[in-house]
Amino acid sequence: MIELLLQTGLNALFAAAYLSLVAVGLVLIFGVMGVINFAHGELFMLGAYVVVALYTNLQMPFFLVVAIGLIFVGLVGIVMEMTMFHPLRDNPLGGLVASIGFLMVIQALIILGFGVRMEHVPPVTQDVIVISEKVRLPVQRLFVILSALVCLSALWLFLKRTKFGWALRASAQDPEAAMLQGISTRTVSIIALFIGAALAGVAGSVAAPVISISPVIGHSVIVSAFIVIIVGGIGSLEGAVLASATYAFIHTVITTFVDGVIADIVGLSLMLMVLIIKPTGMFGTQDRV
Amino acid sequence: MLLELNNLVLSYGSVQVLKDISMEVDKAQVVTIIGANGAGKSTTLRTISGLAKLKSGSITFDGHRIDTLPANKIVAMGISHVPEGRRIFPDMTVEENLRTGAFLRKSRSEVGDDLDSIYSQFPILKSRRTKNAKTLSGGEQQMLAIGRALMARPRVLLMDEPSMGLAPVIVDEIRKIIEQIKENGVTILLVEQNAELALNLANYAYVLENGKIALEGPAEELHDNEQVRTAYLGI
Repeated sequence: MIELLLQTGLNALFAAAYLSLVAVGLVLIFGVMGVINFAHGELFMLGAYVVVALYTNLQMPFFLVVAIGLIFVGLVGIVMEMTMFHPLRDNPLGGLVASIGFLMVIQALIILGFGVRMEHVPPVTQDVIVISEKVRLPVQRLFVILSALVCLSALWLFLKRTKFGWALRASAQDPEAAMLQGISTRTVSIIALFIGAALAGVAGSVAAPVISISPVIGHSVIVSAFIVIIVGGIGSLEGAVLASATYAFIHTVITTFVDGVIADIVGLSLMLMVLIIKPTGMFGTQDRV
Repeated sequence: MLLELNNLVLSYGSVQVLKDISMEVDKAQVVTIIGANGAGKSTTLRTISGLAKLKSGSITFDGHRIDTLPANKIVAMGISHVPEGRRIFPDMTVEENLRTGAFLRKSRSEVGDDLDSIYSQFPILKSRRTKNAKTLSGGEQQMLAIGRALMARPRVLLMDEPSMGLAPVIVDEIRKIIEQIKENGVTILLVEQNAELALNLANYAYVLENGKIALEGPAEELHDNEQVRTAYLGI
């Protein structure tokens, strides 16, 4: 029993790792632009397809491909800023609707390029860390956990220790006051979109060998990410990480012991409860980022 | 003239907020704008710092036209704005707020030196440097907002109601701070509802009424002016 719980904990840690990367990016973009990026799950999906194209098909080195996935999807984020979120900056609802359109375009492009079939990416390594007979952690999953730790620490350092990190937080908290310090809100929103998208991209890339990939995987990722940022508080990066861990653990435990559909229902019910009891989320205030 | 406002006109929808405002601010002076709520004082400052766009008129700073520039470029020219209501960054520490004020500065060592001098000028901020700005009292927040603006090493400081909502003891402290800034050679354009404070600090004053300049002159003269005394000094 303890072994089963430990194994479930490791599985949950893996799920929390890539979910928190997606959720934190979503929160970052919301904090700076005030817009919910509905296409965020598709950025995760794009990251996975970068691996399908370059690693599975062209056999480039895996970690190089992950780096390419990070940069490529980050650039897609900048394209989104320029084509949708900047022109619609005074209209957050318009930005949201545009991002739904963008989601469909990306899905259609991927279907044109790869078809609708499931893609399976061969694992980089078959190694498994055996903790005990029933508690095992595939190294491929460990990569995902480590990537999340590295990326989230790097983000934290960027936000707390660098000039542009301060500029980003300042803009999220009071855009007008930030302008009065000489900060260009345009530059800040481009940086936020790049980082937010890149985090989703790297999550998709590094997780690609351990998940089933299809053009619609963005959907389940974005639903989980929405639950997580609502539970965590929509403006709180720390809240997003903690809520990702909590949600992933509950979801994995219920999937293991009961059933996956029940786990989804519990997740959504949890979100409803938080909305009723504390509408700003567990860690949220009205301030952002 | 360091800063010149020429025939500023600005309207929000059909409401004319500024109706032909012209002002001049000379180097190393304190110029004040007084007037009732809604007279257009804050809006005048916002047009200078680029937060509000003019319908007509022009603003020149040191011979360059600045009314067409975006707000972040105007800071780069040397004009800093301490906005109404302080507008500090609530979830950033005191030190992060101050360093954000130096966003455009290149030299790290100069910024470090200026941070030290702000801390010696405002010791209370030093003792709170790692605290989130939202935990400060109103007076401390005002000092932080002023310190943040000074971190840009401005040539002109626009101050919007620095005494608003503060206890008399703290207002007195703010007065000393403004005098100190003036002694350091920074030109100040001060908007205040506290006319007594403003006229005591300033060299020259403008009285705004309904978006127009009703009266102007050396601050001492306005302080003794019968009309100003009854309308704004409550004597």
